[in-house]
Amino acid sequence: MEKKIKRMLIANRGVPAVRIMHTCRDRGVQTVGVYSTPDRLSSHVMMADFAVHIGEAPPAESYLNMDNLIQAAKDTRADAIHPGWGFLAENAEFAQRVMDEGITWVGPQPKVIQQMGDKIEAKRIAQKANVPTIPGISKVESAKQIRKWMKEDGVEYPIMIKAAAGGGGKGMVKVEKDSELSLALDQARSEAKKAFGDDTLLAEKYIERGRHIEVQIVADQHGNVLHLFERECTLQRRNQKIIEEAPSPSLDENLRHEICYTAIRLMREIGYTTAGTVEFIFDIATKKFYFLEVNTRLQVEHGVTELITGLDIVGLMMDVAEGKPLELVQEKIHMNRWALEVRVNAEDPKTFSPSFGTITRLQIPQGPGVRVASGVYEGADIPPYYDSLIMLLMTSGRTREGAIKVMDRTLSKNFRVEGIKTLAPLLLSIIRHEAFKRGEFSTKFIENHMDELISMFKERDSQDEVLKIAKFVAEITALGPQEWM
Amino acid sequence: MDARKVTKKNWIRPGMTPKEIVKILRGLDGVAITCTGMRDAGQSDFKNRHRIFDLTTLCSFYEDMLLFSTECHGGARWHVGIMNRKEDPFEEIRLYREKMPSVMLQTLIRETNLWGYRPYPKNVIEYVVKNVDIDVWRCFSFLNDIRNMRAVAEIVMKRGRLFQPAISFTQADWTTNDYYLGVVDEIVDLCGGTDEIVLCIKDMAGVGSPARIRSLVDAIKQKYPDLVVQYHRHATDGLAMPALLAAAEAGAKVLDAEEDSLTRFYGQAPILALQAYLEEAGIKVVLNRDMAVKAVQKVRDWIGHYEWAESPFKGFDHQVTSHKMPGGAFPSSFEQAQKGGFLHLMPAILRVMSLYNRIVRYFDVTPGSQITWVTCSGIVNMYEKEQGEAGVKHIIDLLTKFVEEKDQDFDAMSPEEQEELLQLFRRAPGDFKNLLLGGYGKLPMGWPAEWVYKSTFGEEWEERLKERKELSPLDTLQEDDLDRIRGDLASTLGRDPSEEEFILYLMHPKDAVNYIEFREKYGEAPLVLPTDVWREGLKKPGDKVEFDLWGRPYCIELVSVGSEYEGHIHVVLKVNNKTTVYEVETPRAKKVEIRMAKGEGEIGAPINGNVWRIGNPDRGTIKVGDIVHKGEEIANLEAMKMENAIVAPFDAQVEEIAVKLNDQVQEGQLLFVLKKI
Repeated sequence: MEKKIKRMLIANRGVPAVRIMHTCRDRGVQTVGVYSTPDRLSSHVMMADFAVHIGEAPPAESYLNMDNLIQAAKDTRADAIHPGWGFLAENAEFAQRVMDEGITWVGPQPKVIQQMGDKIEAKRIAQKANVPTIPGISKVESAKQIRKWMKEDGVEYPIMIKAAAGGGGKGMVKVEKDSELSLALDQARSEAKKAFGDDTLLAEKYIERGRHIEVQIVADQHGNVLHLFERECTLQRRNQKIIEEAPSPSLDENLRHEICYTAIRLMREIGYTTAGTVEFIFDIATKKFYFLEVNTRLQVEHGVTELITGLDIVGLMMDVAEGKPLELVQEKIHMNRWALEVRVNAEDPKTFSPSFGTITRLQIPQGPGVRVASGVYEGADIPPYYDSLIMLLMTSGRTREGAIKVMDRTLSKNFRVEGIKTLAPLLLSIIRHEAFKRGEFSTKFIENHMDELISMFKERDSQDEVLKIAKFVAEITALGPQEWM
Repeated sequence: MDARKVTKKNWIRPGMTPKEIVKILRGLDGVAITCTGMRDAGQSDFKNRHRIFDLTTLCSFYEDMLLFSTECHGGARWHVGIMNRKEDPFEEIRLYREKMPSVMLQTLIRETNLWGYRPYPKNVIEYVVKNVDIDVWRCFSFLNDIRNMRAVAEIVMKRGRLFQPAISFTQADWTTNDYYLGVVDEIVDLCGGTDEIVLCIKDMAGVGSPARIRSLVDAIKQKYPDLVVQYHRHATDGLAMPALLAAAEAGAKVLDAEEDSLTRFYGQAPILALQAYLEEAGIKVVLNRDMAVKAVQKVRDWIGHYEWAESPFKGFDHQVTSHKMPGGAFPSSFEQAQKGGFLHLMPAILRVMSLYNRIVRYFDVTPGSQITWVTCSGIVNMYEKEQGEAGVKHIIDLLTKFVEEKDQDFDAMSPEEQEELLQLFRRAPGDFKNLLLGGYGKLPMGWPAEWVYKSTFGEEWEERLKERKELSPLDTLQEDDLDRIRGDLASTLGRDPSEEEFILYLMHPKDAVNYIEFREKYGEAPLVLPTDVWREGLKKPGDKVEFDLWGRPYCIELVSVGSEYEGHIHVVLKVNNKTTVYEVETPRAKKVEIRMAKGEGEIGAPINGNVWRIGNPDRGTIKVGDIVHKGEEIANLEAMKMENAIVAPFDAQVEEIAVKLNDQVQEGQLLFVLKKI
């Protein structure tokens, strides 16, 4: 049954909210933005056709507050809700409640969310679909249990402890040695509880020098399951991706075909609908890949796939939600470009310590081959309560090298953020690093090369320098000649 | 060489060997000029505040002026540069080299004291001298202790740069020609002859009468006819011109002068006037007058910005022949007197100096002049404080009687007067004590009388006298551990220092760190801002300052200045047309002090974040006095949804918890003080 979306509430903030509103504008769909108290004047609120206050700063009182969100949709007579990513994007209960209210849910079925959200269950289904999985144990209760498994299966440190309900690096802790095990377990449990409201954990062997490769899938309610090729998401810091690209430089054509069709097989088995991602870890040494998880949502890095295929994934999600069959056939989906994305987080590029405050100046890069997904504007405040992502910079080129050159231009020239620190200097160092250019990296690339990357930070920039001079002029203008002169 | 035929091509320039330079000067049938406009002129009359921004406007004229050299470095310019102008001597040399590549750059260096105020060990001297790109090294000793020059002379000569040993000159009964010839002998000996040096007579106070100078230059030239002599003279006594003429007539080949428009009272002679005066007397002067005229004119464009820096004590002072305060120390001494609120005591201090310098005999030039100043101003201030105006008069009378009437015969003084003299130096500064104990080298006329030691050290004077060194500090000072010092600087800055920053630190550790931090904060403000803006900012809305930075044009324009509110003023500027608001803290701003973790037992926040738990789930909240175990979580910070456990680094007792639950803390902020158990 097709049901046209006319007014959609985006249950999110910042970059994802703005991104989704863009497609809504393209489709002539009205948008309802929601905001917590500190977000009252933020970018997505300005972008929305209507905006509703949904609670106070703590996420649990606003962006995770299902009652308020559903009430906001009802009050504004929104006929659909898109959850974006993060917050309630993979919350089956919320999806169910939205559907129960007769509102179109732009996402997978609650049951699927539930199954895939449970990493233990997801792994079981993958095994059933003959998809290779990483050795490990589920439903971890104690350190003792982990030690027993390691001993029995001959697994050695490092291992990973993950929230069964997790994603996005939260509730995920790498354990290097036995003495760290107890503390790591506590940390993962506490983070999992806080982020997902569920502290069930699992433990897995850690694949050294592994690469994160994920396949973008779209599926409709009529049994069509298509892949939009893969993305390479190996570059991470603290288990959070910061640079992604499509396609993956790690795969040749045969492997690409194999991994993409493995993903399709799994998603068929699940009965998946809408856009979703199958994540794999790829062992470069053995050329083997293992199933990691299914992300039952739109992903941060979906834009690079859009750039290489020319498709609008948010638009496809809305089509699927409306009940339309996908008008695509696999053979007609081609990639004719290489695309790169960097996550501009409001963080100190040396320590990753969050940097909040007011963006006093924002110069957004432009030029050929550049796509910017921003969640902020000049003058905006970055509150300390939420994710540090403020902007995604994407570039594309005919080749990987071309895309990297455009990214270099974008980051090194005419991109400026003043008032807060961002990862930009680190991102520039990474894409300029010879190993990155050669496509040789692992999930540990950043931690292994941190000193070298920091030493590559551009030392001085005349625009930064002139601001120092202006600061001096301001002080002397206000205070007059100084004693020390 | 015919002085009239000197061109830029056949003239002295950087890169020539000392031998070639000396050869040209020996063959010259006139005199050449060292222009002090970039250093001593500013030091003597403007507290060394002339900025690179203004001085570089002279470079294009100097390039064609046919100078022997430009004195642009050293003395107090280095230290005042980093302290007050926030400029560094290395960037200054680089700019001058670029803008006047044909002109020899000259420094003034204080033998073992380099550009500081205390003797540095040999390895520091060697390291620093090796790393400074200067062509002419004028080196003096305030004790005329030539032994102290050895380390500097060796490095300079080995580098193929011109070494210019200077004899510190003063006019006194004991500074006879014989005395100076003895000093020159030592210099010639140190430098292996006269072929690779220029000898400088450094008349730093401006006290040499024309006849005295004529006689001294003549005596030196009689004994060493091939020795090239340069006369450096301040104008303080009002007799600079005739003294310079006398020197030239007696055979000096190089004279120091400065732009006429820079002259006040305590610097060098006016360059255009000097040229005219010498030429009229039949002495040719190597100088492109047209260019010199332009330089003199150029100075007038900016010299008005420095009126505030001029000495409050104006006019020539022929009494300098008694008190001997050097030109370079005049403005700074008066500045200190003004700041200290004892400007009215200056005549008395100068009088005491004129008596003191006959009791302890050395030359009043850095660091001696500072020792004299601090000692004498201390004595006068002490008497004023204890006995008022009468006390000041009393001490002057006492010293006058002792020095002038009794010819320093201690026994000829009454017991009460002896007792008073024995207290005179009791509160003298440490540098004075160090001087008496040979810390700087040997005094030119031998050690002072015994009573001076008793007066300085009291009962333990004999004990202390045993420490007195007869050797040069070059031979007695222990070498510094350069790697350790570099490490200290690196940990202070939190990064590796550059070579130049390290050298600044070697000279003046505390001031260098302040300077480096200033430049990190304000970048190139000291270099690009015109002097009025540097000192006073932009005056009214619409005022702007334009400059180039790294090849690109910039403009800073004032939009408005807000009124002060709770210790803050908002200044709105347009920086290249983009409006920017600066919140300036005034001295009345309330400072929120954040304690940072420093020592071993102090646990700091690893990130900026929110303290959402103190303690851990197993044991609950941790309190002061609790025992925690190594590896145990004692708090947890959250930032952007990521948790960060703070763990005890060792078994410890909690001495202090410096934060409260839900405090927002910044990176490095103190969280706990733990006592190791």
